[in-house]
Amino acid sequence: MPDLFDVYELGRFYDEMFAGTGQPRPHYQRLFDRFARLDGMSSLLERQRTATQTFINRGVTFTVYSNTEGTEKIFPFDLIPRIVPAHEWATLEAGLTQRMQALNLFLADIYGAQRILREGVIPSEMVESSKHFRREMVGLPLPRGLHVHINGTDLIRDENGAYRVLEDNLRTPSGVSYVLENRQVMKRVFPNLIRDYRVRPVETYTSDLLALLMRLAPEHVPEPTVVLLTPGVFNSAYFEHAFLARQMGIEIVEGSDLVVENDRVYMRRSDGLAPVHVIYRRLDDDFLDPTVFRKDSLLGVPGLVNAHRKGNVALCNPIGTGVADDKAMYHYVPRMIKFYLGQEPILHNVETYLSSDRKDLTYILENLPKLVVKSVNEAGGYGMLVGPHSNQAQIEEFREKILANPRNFIAQPTIGLSRCPSVCESTIEGRHIDLRPYILNGESIKIMPGGLTRVALRKGSLVVNSSQGGGSKDTWVLAADDQASAPIPRLPEKLIV
Amino acid sequence: MLSRVANLIYWMARQLERAENTARIVDVNSQLVLDLQSRQAADDPKSWEPLVYVSGGEETFFELYGKKATERSVVEFMLFDRRNPSSIISCVSQARENARCVRDLLAAEVWETLNTFYLKLKDDDFARYAQLGSAEYLNRVKARIHLFNGVADSMLPRGSAWWFFQLGRHLERADNTSRILDVKYFMLLPETSPVGTALDMVQWASVLRSCSAFEAFRRSRRGQLSLERVVDYLLRDDQFPRSILYSAKSAAHALAQIVEGAAHLANNRASTLTEALIRDLEKTNTEQTIADGLHEFLDTIQLRLNEVHTAVQQTFIDYPTNQARIVA
Repeated sequence: MPDLFDVYELGRFYDEMFAGTGQPRPHYQRLFDRFARLDGMSSLLERQRTATQTFINRGVTFTVYSNTEGTEKIFPFDLIPRIVPAHEWATLEAGLTQRMQALNLFLADIYGAQRILREGVIPSEMVESSKHFRREMVGLPLPRGLHVHINGTDLIRDENGAYRVLEDNLRTPSGVSYVLENRQVMKRVFPNLIRDYRVRPVETYTSDLLALLMRLAPEHVPEPTVVLLTPGVFNSAYFEHAFLARQMGIEIVEGSDLVVENDRVYMRRSDGLAPVHVIYRRLDDDFLDPTVFRKDSLLGVPGLVNAHRKGNVALCNPIGTGVADDKAMYHYVPRMIKFYLGQEPILHNVETYLSSDRKDLTYILENLPKLVVKSVNEAGGYGMLVGPHSNQAQIEEFREKILANPRNFIAQPTIGLSRCPSVCESTIEGRHIDLRPYILNGESIKIMPGGLTRVALRKGSLVVNSSQGGGSKDTWVLAADDQASAPIPRLPEKLIV
Repeated sequence: MLSRVANLIYWMARQLERAENTARIVDVNSQLVLDLQSRQAADDPKSWEPLVYVSGGEETFFELYGKKATERSVVEFMLFDRRNPSSIISCVSQARENARCVRDLLAAEVWETLNTFYLKLKDDDFARYAQLGSAEYLNRVKARIHLFNGVADSMLPRGSAWWFFQLGRHLERADNTSRILDVKYFMLLPETSPVGTALDMVQWASVLRSCSAFEAFRRSRRGQLSLERVVDYLLRDDQFPRSILYSAKSAAHALAQIVEGAAHLANNRASTLTEALIRDLEKTNTEQTIADGLHEFLDTIQLRLNEVHTAVQQTFIDYPTNQARIVA
C-alpha cells in the first residue's frame, strides 16, 4: 500500500512536518508512524467526514457577510494537527508576554502622560491620525491599571521557519471558540495520539477569561454581574458569542437589553432592571454608544461611555485599544518594547513599509508587484493587495488609493508562509498556515497553549481568513519535547490512531 | 430573564398557536361549506369571505386579491401567503426566527422540531392543499404543531421561559376560540334554514369538531346540541382546555408564576385585567348574551384580551426604565 505521504511535495516553503522528502521532523515522527498504520487515504477521509459531521451536529457555524441569505456554514476543519514542540512554545510564550506587557504600557501611556510621544519615539501624528484613537478616553483610570485584556496576535513562519508577528488584534479578536471545539473533535477522532503526545490542554480558557472579567468589576461589588454584549444573531461570529457566554455561564445581551440610568448600567429583565458591572463586548468602539461615537448605531447603549467614565461599569477590551493594533502602529511595537521594558524584542515583526513615510512610499510604489499592501484599519483579509497574485489593473488601483491616502496603507514583502500537510480531496498536500494565540492580561499574563491555526485551503493561497476560503487545524503544544520522538511501544498492526 | 428573550418566547408561542387555530378556522369553514345543501351556496363567495373578517385581515386581503373571495384565494391568503402576517406560513416562519434567536434556551429537539416543520411547510401551496384535501392537509399542520408542543412540554424547564411560552399560547388561544365561534355568526345561512334547524345543528357540530370539542362536549353536557349550549361550552367551560374561560385562567396562572417571588409585580395590570375577564366570564349568562348579540360580545372579549397583551408588554417588556424596580 502506498504511504500517505509518498507523493507529498515539499515546495520552496518551510514545511511544518517534513525537514526533507520522507524525513519528518522529530516532533512529527510519532504522527508519521501512526498514520502509516491507517488504511491509507480512505481511512483518513473517513475520519475527516466524521469530524465535519460532528461540527455540523454541534452547530459550530459562522455566517458569511456577503451572502444575502445569511447561510450558516461550518468553518472548514483539517484533520492533520499543527504540532508545536515545547521549546518553540516556550519562546513564543515569552515573546507574546513581552509584547502584551509593552502594548499595555503603551496604551496606558497614550491615554495618559504620552511620554513616548513627547520623547519622540513615535511621531505624534501617528497617534492623532489613527482612526481608533479615542481622545475621549485620555486621562481615564482603568480598573487594575489594565489597558488591554485580550490580544489575538497573528504569527507566521517565514521561509526559514522563523516565527514573526504579522499583526495584533486588540479590539475584539475572534476564533477562540473554534480552538476549543477543534480540540473536542480531535479528542474523538485521534484519542490515543493526543494522549501519547501529551498535548497541553486548552480547556481552561473560558474559566481564565471569566476570572479576568470578574476582577475588572468595581471593587465594592461583592458579586459582580458579567455579560457578553453581541451585535446580534446576524453577526458572523454569533456562534462564538453564544458559545463563550454559555461556557462562562453569563448572559448574552444585545444593546437594546441594556439601559443606563443615573450612570449605571442595567439589563432589562422581565422582573425589573438588573445591575451590570462588567461587559465583555464583542462590538467595536464605533457602535458602543450613539451619544459618543457613531450616532446612527442601533447596536449600542446610549450613556454607556459615561457610566464607564464614572467607574460603574468595566469594558473588555477597554475603549480605544485599536490605536495600538493599527497596522501602521504595528511598525513601532519593537520600539515600544525597548522604550518601556528596556528589552530586545523576542519575536520579530515582518519588515513593514509605511506609505506615510516619504522614503518608504517611493520604495512601495516602485515595488508593488512584489509587496503585500494592507489597509491599516481593515481586518478579515479585506482591502489588501497581494502583489505577486495580482494583475496590472489591480496594482494600478492600489497605487491610486495609496497616493490618495498614504496614512491608510502599509506594505510588507510577500512572505511565503510555512505550510502544513492538509487533507485535500483525495491527497495530502501542503497548505499555508498561520497561528493566532490568545493572550489574556489579567492578574498575570496567561496564554492558552496553542491557539487557532488557520489554513489557506485554496491551493497556493496565502490568505487564511475564514471569509476568504480559510479553514482551521487543531494546534498541539507539547508538554515536553522528548514525548514526541520517544520510541513507540510495540503495538498491534491495526491500531486506533 | 431578559425582557427581549421573554418577548421572543411569548411571540413564538402566540404565533404557533395562531397557526394552529388558523388551520382550525379553515377546517371548520370547509366543513360548514360541505354541510350546505346546495352546491350553489358552496360556490358562493359569501361562503369564504367570512374567514377573512374573522381573522381580522380583510384590508390586506382585499388589497391583495380584489373583491372576490373564493375558496382558493382565501385558502392561499390564510395558509400560504407571506404577505399576510397572520398566515400559517408567516406565523411558523416568524416563530422559527424567534426560536433561532433563543436557541440556547431551548433543548436541541425543540428547535429541530420547529425547524423541520418550517422546512417542510415552506414550499407548500394551494395545489398541495387541494391534492391532499383540506381535512388531511390541515390535520398534518396541526399534528406538527402538536408535536412541537409535546416536545416543548417534555423538555423545557419550568422557569420564566416556560411561563412566558404558556402566557402567549393561552392568550392567543382565548382570542382564537372567540374567532372560531364568530365564524358561525358570519356564515350566512340559506334563507330556508333558520336557527334551530337540522342544518344549524350540523353546523354547530362542525364548530365543536374544529375545536376538537365534540366528544368532550357530548360527555360533559349530555343532551342536544343547541346554540346556547355550544356557545356556553366554548365560552366558559371549566374543564375544556380550549374554552375562553379555561384559556384565560391558564394565562392568569402563567402570569402568577412569572411574578412569583417578585413582590413589586404582585398587583401588575396584566394580572388584574385577566382576573377581571375571568370574573366577568364566570358571571356571564350565555342566553342573555346571545340575545344581546354574540358577535358584539366576542368583539369585546378580543378587545379585552388585547388590553391584557398591551399590559404584558408594559409590565415585563417595554416598561419605562426611569422608574423601574432594580433587582439583584
